[in-house]
Amino acid sequence: MRTDPLIDRLTHDLKPVRRRTTLTDAGILAGLGGIELGLFLAMGFSRSDMPMAMHLPSFWWKLASLGLIALVSGIVAVVSFDPMNSPRRGLRWIIALIAACLSIGWILDASRDGAAMLLMRLDWQDGVQCLYKMVGLSVPAVITLGLLMHRGAPTDRDGTALAAGLAAAAWGAFVFVFACPVDDPLYVAVWYSLGCGAVTLLARLALPPLTRW
Amino acid sequence: MAWALMQPQELNALGLRLRVRNADEEKHAWSGLMASAQRGDAVAYRRLLSEVRTWLRRYYAGRLPPAMIDDVIQETLIAIHEKRQTYDPARPFSAWLSVIARYKWIDALRTMKARHTETLHADVAVPDHEEAVTSAWSLERLLEQIKPAQSEVIRLVKLQGLSIAEASAATGQSAPLVKVNIHRGLKRLASLLRGELDAD
Repeated sequence: MRTDPLIDRLTHDLKPVRRRTTLTDAGILAGLGGIELGLFLAMGFSRSDMPMAMHLPSFWWKLASLGLIALVSGIVAVVSFDPMNSPRRGLRWIIALIAACLSIGWILDASRDGAAMLLMRLDWQDGVQCLYKMVGLSVPAVITLGLLMHRGAPTDRDGTALAAGLAAAAWGAFVFVFACPVDDPLYVAVWYSLGCGAVTLLARLALPPLTRW
Repeated sequence: MAWALMQPQELNALGLRLRVRNADEEKHAWSGLMASAQRGDAVAYRRLLSEVRTWLRRYYAGRLPPAMIDDVIQETLIAIHEKRQTYDPARPFSAWLSVIARYKWIDALRTMKARHTETLHADVAVPDHEEAVTSAWSLERLLEQIKPAQSEVIRLVKLQGLSIAEASAATGQSAPLVKVNIHRGLKRLASLLRGELDAD
């Protein structure tokens, strides 16, 4: 048969393989996340008014929302590295979670001043700086998730890449929360959405062709 | 012997039960062979790949044009080899194999849109039509589920080998629209197949 030489080649000098498990991948991601966060805080990038910020509901909204989105997206991505699991249902949960987080932010914002301060509150110069810092902090997570995805066997690469992109973006933003001095929900909704959107889009476009199998 | 006293219906039912049991045992054996292969047992791995190759040939026979089957079997065997660390022996090997075979099938359908097609002449001799007829039936069933404008141009360009300009003239669609409809139609077909995978 035509496939005989191929089978000869595949079985020749066969090496044992270390079995991939979801828990191992999750452990690698959690370890890397812990190292990144630890280094970030140890290097003194944390905001100077942290004790005061910890009394603001918007600070906790920012931290909890991004942490939750990163956690859920990461679980969806890692689970879908198994060829027998689709990420589609998980992606629907992530979208619902993002919508819920933004709604809570809007409710917090509604209790503040009117629209006259809108442009000042958006503060585009700080916003652009926030944006590129968030993207930079997401890069290690994008690379790690990309490598794990390549090692796994996702059968819906587009969906898995989307979940991985969302996880990496939310993680980068989560780490950045410790440095970002702005707690205005409007500012967060606009600039964090742009930063997370850029990372998600990049991962969605780059990962499927790089992890083709 | 007891089976000599059985009615024909009872013999048929017994035969079916035995075939199902044999298939179950074969699939159970595959799980063990793959677990051994993961530990580096080349003999078990060779036996597994040879048996899987036969299964894949049957699987793709009803789903792809005969000319593509050998290539897709090779790609699937390579995928099984490269991703063998993702198989968990606690779960059935046949389910793992099925999703990989289906993934490669969808991949093959996607590549069809980039592949150049030639018009077939009626006087070309072909030894056996069975696989082609089965594939055509399977494809026809899928084409019924997409928009008529898309299925029409896919039939003309991808199956009958017409050029874009000829398909445009035959359908009244502009040439760019023919290209768009082929692209969207093939994408929709892949999505339908993925939907079936999710449902499974």
